[in-house]
Amino acid sequence: MTVGIQRTASSQAPARERVELILGQLDQLPTLPTMVACLLAIAGSDDSSARDLVRIIEPDPSLTACILRMVRRPDLGVRSQGMTVARAVSLLGIRAVRNAALSTQFFETLSARGGDESATARRRELWKHSLAVGCAAELIAERTSDPATAGEAFVCGLLHDIGKIALDTCLPKSYARVLERSEHRPVCVCDLEREILGLDHTSAGKRLVTRWRLGQAIVESVWLHHQDPDALPSTIAFAHQVRIVHLADALIRRTGIGASGSNHVTDIESAALTLGVDRAALAEIIERVPERLKPLQEALGLDDADDNASYLESLSEANRRLGQSNTQLTESNRTLKLRSDCFEALTAFTTQLTEHDRIADVCAAAADLLCSLLHIDHALAFVRTPERLCLYVGASDKTGAASRTAILECGIADFAEAKTNGNVIPAPESCDALWQQTIGSPAESPLWLLPFHTEAAAGGVLFVADDDVVDPLRSAQAECVSLSTAIGQAVSSAATRVVGEKTAEELLDLNRRLHTAQKQLVRMRSISMIAQMAAGAAHELNNPLAVISGRAQMELTKCEDPERRREFEIIVEQARRASGIVSDLMVFAKPDAPRPVVQSLAEVLESACQHWQSVSSLGPDRLILTQRDADSSVYCDGDQLREILHAVFANALEATDHAARCIQINSPSRASDKTVRIVVEDNGVGMTPDVLEHCLDPFFSSRPAGRGRGLGLSRAYRLAEINGGSLWLESKPQLGTTVTIELPARAPTA
Amino acid sequence: MADNGQVKTVFTTGEVAKICKVSQQTVIRCFDSGRLHGFRVPGSRFRRIPREALITFMKSNQIPMDHLETGKKRVLVVDDDEAVVEMFNELLERDGRFDVRTASTGYDAGIMTEQFRPDVLLLDFKLPDINGNVVCRTIRSNPNYQHMQIIIISGVADPDEVAELKAAGADEFIRKPFDINAVINRIAEMMKVG
Repeated sequence: MTVGIQRTASSQAPARERVELILGQLDQLPTLPTMVACLLAIAGSDDSSARDLVRIIEPDPSLTACILRMVRRPDLGVRSQGMTVARAVSLLGIRAVRNAALSTQFFETLSARGGDESATARRRELWKHSLAVGCAAELIAERTSDPATAGEAFVCGLLHDIGKIALDTCLPKSYARVLERSEHRPVCVCDLEREILGLDHTSAGKRLVTRWRLGQAIVESVWLHHQDPDALPSTIAFAHQVRIVHLADALIRRTGIGASGSNHVTDIESAALTLGVDRAALAEIIERVPERLKPLQEALGLDDADDNASYLESLSEANRRLGQSNTQLTESNRTLKLRSDCFEALTAFTTQLTEHDRIADVCAAAADLLCSLLHIDHALAFVRTPERLCLYVGASDKTGAASRTAILECGIADFAEAKTNGNVIPAPESCDALWQQTIGSPAESPLWLLPFHTEAAAGGVLFVADDDVVDPLRSAQAECVSLSTAIGQAVSSAATRVVGEKTAEELLDLNRRLHTAQKQLVRMRSISMIAQMAAGAAHELNNPLAVISGRAQMELTKCEDPERRREFEIIVEQARRASGIVSDLMVFAKPDAPRPVVQSLAEVLESACQHWQSVSSLGPDRLILTQRDADSSVYCDGDQLREILHAVFANALEATDHAARCIQINSPSRASDKTVRIVVEDNGVGMTPDVLEHCLDPFFSSRPAGRGRGLGLSRAYRLAEINGGSLWLESKPQLGTTVTIELPARAPTA
Repeated sequence: MADNGQVKTVFTTGEVAKICKVSQQTVIRCFDSGRLHGFRVPGSRFRRIPREALITFMKSNQIPMDHLETGKKRVLVVDDDEAVVEMFNELLERDGRFDVRTASTGYDAGIMTEQFRPDVLLLDFKLPDINGNVVCRTIRSNPNYQHMQIIIISGVADPDEVAELKAAGADEFIRKPFDINAVINRIAEMMKVG
């Protein structure tokens, strides 16, 4: 269904899109050989121009052959043996040779594409027409303008129908239909082209010659040669050339040399008059066209006439070509072998890589790639990413690839010069150190570098190989490009992944910190709410408590009965206790600012232990104090530290309500010299995870409701917090609880 | 006003005139006519009136007793909690050494201070209209009340607030609930009343 729709859409593609398609194909046509520019530059007819021309033609064997073919004509009475380009130039004239050379260049550029027999024949006719128009234009120019521009007129004429050749090359079938329909009909081919192709040859040609940068005169004559010469816009800079080509085209079409496909009738006389060419001159021009055309046709092999001599010569030529192509075949066989080796190695390389590979893994794989490609023992690849100076080095030997990350100081800066991909170059001297450091022994043969360079990273593969091993690879530039591009891309994607992973990790960390901050915020908010509530409660509750306690005390002074006295005493005592709860809550929410001092941890712990042993009747075997670091200091408020220890110890004591109870107090070796830890460990009932989570909440108690105040541990936590430390618990049900108190070891240095 | 803690037992005619708000001539006339009993200092003509005779004279002539030194220390209790005020009132009256007045707002406290000229101010920190520290500062800014002792009594004992109150001129801070004997002893000690 979908396919069907697509097909319909493409066959009914609007003309505009079809034009775009054609233009795209035109852009893919080959560019002109640089020789064309040199040939176009030869305008004069002096000796230096002749020398230039010879110098251009001689290095090109096929062009030389063409030029020599021009002089091998019976009427000139010369044979090709012993003939040189220089002699041909002197025999034929500079301009003729130049024109022939230019024609062959255009011809070869555009006949590279194949086609069936009829297409070939069609193109031959077009070329003949074009050559003839060139000659006619040259002849007209010689009469009507400065003879120096006659050469330019030839090129304008030669190329005027280049658009047809281009369209025919791009769309042979459609163009055959154009020509078929134009046959024997007095219509301008442009109209048919627009109708069938959506684009005519003048526009196509204009686009092509513009791309070839052939100059404004040629562009305009290609584009406007079908225009009425009297109706050219005034903005046209080279109207004269356009008119010449227009006239020449009309003349040749009437003469019937070649076939242009256009059969419309042009008013030749008026066109000639516009240029100032009279009837007699016109006749002379027509007469002289064939004599100029003939050598050109011969040069291009468009001549129909064939004689025995040239047959023999072409036989030997064919033999020579056969020999040449044999050599080429052997050569391309070798190239193909290397190419397939490269392909295999690259396949192995890419299969070996996974999306989790680190840069160093990619390096190792790259080194492996070179080893297996060149059948060498060692290779190493290194990468330097823009944000890191650290080099990733992967080394490989025959046993397999091994990767590692190394930070190497050697000056890989020199290697910056090899920023382009695709050349095996002798490694810069600085690479020797890298090689020795990584492989473990100095390079025995020459050290080579295959650099690669991407936006994310730069690096290279180093390997040791003899010249005969490296040479095939060095001469195969395309393969080198694929190798370095593939490695470069793999490295670059690994580098990108590293950055991505780092970003993800940072995000995760940020998230975690946000979560902690949020929890802390919630805690701070609830603490400040407790503070507010406690302040209000203290005021509201303490007034009635003061009255209760005061009244009871007053009764106490009046009362003699011991039993009643006891009751009043209880009232007073309980009022005080109620008030104490409120105060505790206040202190928890808004503790006194600590007055920290540096003190000996050992002394604090010893005196606390002595106190507890006396109050809890735990012997030294049940309350064990271990101090690893006797001279540890702790920096905090002394009273508050005692309160913390007392709360933690009270908790431990409460948890160990059995015979085998044991509480250990450690001050382990310092984790860092900035903090000290006190670890209180009991073998009591422990806590379930649920209890553990809430055990630091104020008033939380795992005991039945109504017992105890439950501010102990949360108070200790709070006091540790305001002294710049922290407190945390680890616990397992039935195994016991460990409370760790961490406090600063010394005063912070400002 | 003698503030040595001793109650005056014998007065001169000048002192009696001042206490009874009459001229010294009138006092001498009453003394000489026998309506105000007293004695002359042996060896001189100076008249002296014992305390009891003065009280009898003032009562029989319906002269207000306000300006007669009672010997008791004046205590003004300021608290918005009626139960607290009542308790203090009862407690201090029962002790017998104190003359007690009460107020429940800062405004009342101001008026009472002006009229009653208390020796001791028992001040709740949190009053409905103004806070104790403002009361303290206002009193301390008046030179007439330099001698007055201010005791703040509060259910909230924020150390910062206590420090601020002391700076504002409070002499003592007592937290509620409190030991009543300790409070009374402290008041007496501050005023050196026997």
